[in-house]
Amino acid sequence: MKIISMIIIILSTGLFAQEKPHFVTQELQCSTCHTCEVPTKNNPCVRECIREYLVSVKHSAKEAPENILINRFEKIENIYQPVHFTHQLHAEMSHLAGGCQTCHHYNPPGRILTCIECHETGRKREDISKPDLKAAYHRQCIDCHRGWSHEINCVSCHAMNEGKPSNIDTKPMPKTVHPEIKTPERMVINTEYANGKIVTFNHKEHVDLFGLECQSCHSQESCIKCHDKNPDKLKSKMVHETHENCASCHDTDNNCSSCHAQKEKPGFDHGQRTGWQLNKLHSKLSCSSCHQKKGVFTGLKSKCSNCHDSWSSENFDHAITGLRLDEIHLENECADCHIDDNFTKPSCGNCHDDIEYPDFMPGTLTK
Amino acid sequence: MKNQSRRDFLKITTISATALVGASATKLFASGNPTSSIDPMGVLVDTTVCIGCRKCEWACKKAHNIDTKPIEDYDNRSAFENYRRPDHTSLTVVNEFRNPTAESKPYDVKVQCMHCNEPACVSACIVGAMTKQENGSVIWDTDKCIGCRFCMVACPFQIPTFEYHKALQPDITKCDFCFERTKEALLPACVEICPVEAVTYGKRSELLKLAKKRINLYPERYKEHILGEHEVGGTSWMYLAGMDFDKLKFPKLSTKAAPGVSEAIQHGIFSYFVPPASLFALLGGIMWLNKNKSKSEPDTE
Ligand code: SF4
Ligand code: SF4
Ligand code: SF4
Repeated sequence: MKIISMIIIILSTGLFAQEKPHFVTQELQCSTCHTCEVPTKNNPCVRECIREYLVSVKHSAKEAPENILINRFEKIENIYQPVHFTHQLHAEMSHLAGGCQTCHHYNPPGRILTCIECHETGRKREDISKPDLKAAYHRQCIDCHRGWSHEINCVSCHAMNEGKPSNIDTKPMPKTVHPEIKTPERMVINTEYANGKIVTFNHKEHVDLFGLECQSCHSQESCIKCHDKNPDKLKSKMVHETHENCASCHDTDNNCSSCHAQKEKPGFDHGQRTGWQLNKLHSKLSCSSCHQKKGVFTGLKSKCSNCHDSWSSENFDHAITGLRLDEIHLENECADCHIDDNFTKPSCGNCHDDIEYPDFMPGTLTK
Repeated sequence: MKNQSRRDFLKITTISATALVGASATKLFASGNPTSSIDPMGVLVDTTVCIGCRKCEWACKKAHNIDTKPIEDYDNRSAFENYRRPDHTSLTVVNEFRNPTAESKPYDVKVQCMHCNEPACVSACIVGAMTKQENGSVIWDTDKCIGCRFCMVACPFQIPTFEYHKALQPDITKCDFCFERTKEALLPACVEICPVEAVTYGKRSELLKLAKKRINLYPERYKEHILGEHEVGGTSWMYLAGMDFDKLKFPKLSTKAAPGVSEAIQHGIFSYFVPPASLFALLGGIMWLNKNKSKSEPDTE
């Protein structure tokens, strides 16, 4: 009996494991979506269209449709032309703001829904509980666009049509890409902190060296941040807001002097900070390529094999060091020449008497 | 009803005149109302959604053959510098108010006739020109209107205005809920054009449900008050807002139906011995006869 019930339990857990309940994909309370205690298939008691936290499908902006011609509203076309909506461009940039769900605010598990699947095209309709399609589109667009343009201007999205339907341009638009975003190399910020008025922020370093993604810091920004037509209206950030971004790595509560100083600070210098000057090849790497434990930057041994333990004479292209080995020396094991784990100067003594590097070369210099 | 003859009118006048025996003139006037439907159509105006594009003003004018500037001109927001009221040049107007919590998202408030369930303008109209229709619209018959302006005084929302420009053809104007369009199963012009559907058309009961749902879902967005749910006995057009309605220049109103002008005038200005009913009747009669005379004059020439 025991065995049978064990089998049943195992079987049934297997069954459940296959059909993962959808709530595990997100941190969600059942009550966010369901109004009753125990939702069932027959009575899922799903709340109507909650705007927040209901998107369960994620994909990259690259997979999103490029441009969409919005021309479902014939009457209005007599006045305004349909809109060519640069969907992919918006999707790509949305990761700096609220993400796809800024617009795709409701998507139960399954494929991605398009607006028209929930919002009806006709304004005259039975179910008025959600806005019709025209309203849904406009609300989404205007909400951001009015934020940075400070106007509500039909012609900023629609061309006027002057009553000639033949004017309507329905040709597909070429893919639009966002112009390259110019990022600052370094910023010197004057603060009100008396013990260290100047904060030198090496933006480039944070991106290239420390490997931060744009959205690591710029995730809650709206389009206004860059697109505001009237930059005076940009409110400057409060102290706690600027600290918030830095605090995920820097101890902003206790260690003020790591950023604040009385004069500009130079960028990060591995040699000065740790006593180990990085060579040309290593100085290009991001910190995390060597310091792989997240947030821990100590404890690496300076031995090459510490990281390069998989290199052998078979798979290592010696030419990258500036010296291409000749055929005879290619046969050697690394340790035949580099006898002390320190791969700087080779020793020839294992095979040759009275020969010294660099008087004699085991190959040709490439640089 | 439209071609109510002069004789019919005089009949009413005589009855009204005989009301000096003490019958309440108010009652008599009000009794002319057609019964309004139990669940009329209405519109829910969500002032937190409205973007103040004023396309509704344009569409309303187009639908009523009122002169209008081209639609592009309505993008100009300088119109909001002055507070405006609906009049014969614009049956609906949008005003803008500062949003204290979000500077970039001001509140825009469309104003027009509320199409009251128990319209004071209808009870005030001494010739029965104003009527409440089955579908909720409060409309008037231009041929009957004598331009006495009692509806103007009676309206708790100060909606009807008088077209002064044609002195000989006085006419009351106000939003007619696009009666001619809805008759043909079209949406009111303003509802149709609104880009964001800040104005939702539907059965009044449905709209109330919708309004309550929105308040429930987004308590931080809305004040818990649906203007027009109870005010002056309920109105067909109702409003949601993110701040108190008096700050959006709506009058503070009781839930009782507005009394209608006749009563007010009886108790106020005409506290003489002449029974008001007969005076109204007399005045009204003269105005009506005059109006029709002046109207028919060009025809006879
Ligand atoms: S708002 Fe004024 S004009 Fe409109 S129905 Fe009510 S009382 Fe009449
Ligand atoms: S319902 Fe018609 S008349 Fe009234 S405001 Fe709208 S468009 Fe104008
Ligand atoms: S058309 Fe709609 S959004 Fe525009 S002002 Fe009128 S009600 Fe507001």
